[in-house]
Amino acid sequence: MTLLGAVWAWLTNSVHWQGSDGIPTRIAEHLWISGVSVFIALVVALPLGLLIGHTNRGALVTVSIMNVGRALPSLAFLAFALPASFALNLGLGFWPTVIALVPLAIPLMLVNTYAAIRGVDPDLVEAARGMGMRELEVLGKVEVPVALPLIIAGIRNAAVTVVATATLGALVAGGGLGRYIVDGLARQDYARLLAGAILVALLSITTEVAFAVIERLVVSPGLRLDRERLALPDAGGAR
Amino acid sequence: MTRSDELLGRAKGGATVEFRQVSKHYARSANGQPIAAVRDLSLVVQPGEICVLVGPSGCGKTTSLKMVNRLIEPTSGQILIDGVDVMTVDPVALRRRIGYVIQQVGLFPHRTIAENIATVPELVGWPKAKIRARVDELIALVGLDPASYRDRYPSQLSGGERQRIGVARAMAIEPPLMLMDEPFGAVDPIVRERLQNEFLDLQRRLGLTVLFVTHDIDEAIKLGTRVAVFEQGGTIAQYSPPAELLMRPATDYVARFVGSDRALKRLAVMRLADLRLSPVSSAGEGPVFSAETNVRDALAALLLAPRAAGTVVDSSGVPIGVVTMETIASAVQPVAASLE
Amino acid sequence: MTIQGEPLVRFDWIGNNLGLIGERLWEHIFLTVLAVGLGLAISFGLSLAIRWNGRLYLPITSIAGVLYTIPSLALFALLVPFTGLSILTAEIGLVSYTLLILTRNIVGGLEGVPADAREAAIGMGYTARQLLLRVELPLALPVIIAGVRVATVTTIGLVTVTALIGQGGLGQFILQGIQRFFYTPLVVGAVLSIALAIAADALLVGLQRAVAPWTAVKR
Repeated sequence: MTLLGAVWAWLTNSVHWQGSDGIPTRIAEHLWISGVSVFIALVVALPLGLLIGHTNRGALVTVSIMNVGRALPSLAFLAFALPASFALNLGLGFWPTVIALVPLAIPLMLVNTYAAIRGVDPDLVEAARGMGMRELEVLGKVEVPVALPLIIAGIRNAAVTVVATATLGALVAGGGLGRYIVDGLARQDYARLLAGAILVALLSITTEVAFAVIERLVVSPGLRLDRERLALPDAGGAR
Repeated sequence: MTRSDELLGRAKGGATVEFRQVSKHYARSANGQPIAAVRDLSLVVQPGEICVLVGPSGCGKTTSLKMVNRLIEPTSGQILIDGVDVMTVDPVALRRRIGYVIQQVGLFPHRTIAENIATVPELVGWPKAKIRARVDELIALVGLDPASYRDRYPSQLSGGERQRIGVARAMAIEPPLMLMDEPFGAVDPIVRERLQNEFLDLQRRLGLTVLFVTHDIDEAIKLGTRVAVFEQGGTIAQYSPPAELLMRPATDYVARFVGSDRALKRLAVMRLADLRLSPVSSAGEGPVFSAETNVRDALAALLLAPRAAGTVVDSSGVPIGVVTMETIASAVQPVAASLE
Repeated sequence: MTIQGEPLVRFDWIGNNLGLIGERLWEHIFLTVLAVGLGLAISFGLSLAIRWNGRLYLPITSIAGVLYTIPSLALFALLVPFTGLSILTAEIGLVSYTLLILTRNIVGGLEGVPADAREAAIGMGYTARQLLLRVELPLALPVIIAGVRVATVTTIGLVTVTALIGQGGLGQFILQGIQRFFYTPLVVGAVLSIALAIAADALLVGLQRAVAPWTAVKR
């Protein structure tokens, strides 16, 4: 039997579609870990990015710190998350993975949000103020909608990075699709290994596509001329 | 809020604007010395007038304009709108009652034309139906077709169309005062000419008071009821109606700024009716002009006419006099003399 | 500082393993330089192909983009059945990740050369080859090096992941630490790989200034 045949057989084996090590469970775990991490990062990064983008206060310091954060290896985040999780008595599995993923995602979102808001044409902001918008209205009615494609690009980049890195959570006894890869490597079970790799790759690409769809739904068609420039993925961020 | 309701509270007609010894200084960290952007500015704009602030870049004209809606706050002095000091009014409420148009227009790219125009009505909480009706009215007012423009986005408009929508947006809640910062500066000369004419027509119909910033002296002369010529350092060199500016420039600076062709410019702001015409002779003389024709156009026609004379008729077509080269020359002599 | 009885760093372990640490650091640098070097060579070829025919840009960057989106561990895992737990597997993966960044920056850098500089050079009689080597490349160098910076820092991070396929340089310490709940190698591996990334970035910034002094004012 060829390897591809073995992978196909593995993927279509009904045993692998049920139970705690089944594909649906692993996908659900993967999405749950990623979703919680992206959500926590979003709650931190978005307001902060909007604030420093709008006021430009503390921008240099924040962005410098974030750029260093962006350069850190993802495995290093996991390395530090493990002792941190033990120190907080959060144990293995879910929490060390989340503790690793949140600081990984924050810089990607924050820097993009900040840059997106700063990038809004100052004439628009002046026109908005000149028409009598309050600061929050300037931010909410003009800056955010105009910056939205770039803000979403940042969230997308962070989400894809998180989905990719959540794979490494299997190293700290986390669930998710990384399980198949780590176990496949350990047992030299190449069918499992390849199936896991294919599933993770598909999940990453699906995340990417899902955000492209979200962007299309929430971004004003009036901004679509800029789409081409914004569709390029942001450089940086090892996965 | 009560203060701002009272200020600019009328629905129709223009406001009075008064600058009282207004100065604006910027502290420069380089040497610590404050630098004056505007120095001791005093001027009055009467209701329904277009006051044009003109001067080279960096002369403080835009700063002066932005102090009216408090985008910039004066260091000293007062700006009164209908007698009320703007510094006593909530800036947000103040700005909602003053139309504001800038050169780059600043149309919001994510909002349709209708949504752009509806910005201020929405901010002040007009009912939806009223906003919808007003939007269509305004699109038509600036000479576009509401049905075909309402749902477009700014990126789908030409430069001239964007300027029109910018003006419409600024007029959404019938402000008694409009602030315009080089509003026609970014369009080509032919479109600019047309926009200027339409704007003049609109302004006269509505009786708006307008403060208008430009660096183009020709635009200032064409649009201004009065023109304030700024010089470097934020002071006014002369504040007078365009004709007077051309006929009697107060200083060498103003003379240079209005240009050596100011005699011709002056002709462009005079109508044939303003001239002392020769009596009508029995035989019809040369080309026939309406009394409202500007003298510069009449001169251009006379230069091509065989006998260098033309008949001026009133609005009902009755001849009221004859215009000749001499008539025109005598009208601009004071200017010619001061050119020596 | 100790966590559940285990100190975060045991300095005696570090002292006893200095030789090994140096070896792994060297291995890490070697894997990185090899990957970025090969990536640069391939990207350069791809960029020249794109210059030769602009329609190649979209397909090339799309494929590189898909490669970039695939999680590193998944990509390595996909290769293992074919190329084994080898340096080849590591390098194929690492090089793949550099292609998008490098190709985009090389093409972008060359396109960013001011048209007047190009025209002047052609007007003075430069051949196409001389134009590329003496005018366009030098002017594009800051953008290209900016790409190399991102690619290098990214690669240093990804090399740690290759520990899972038996390579990994400093990543092996991290993996060992995670698997044995022994924090010292974990901290050593993480700190050194971060330090390496920062040092490499600083080095390349220095290189950028040296080869393109006219950009020193801007960042």
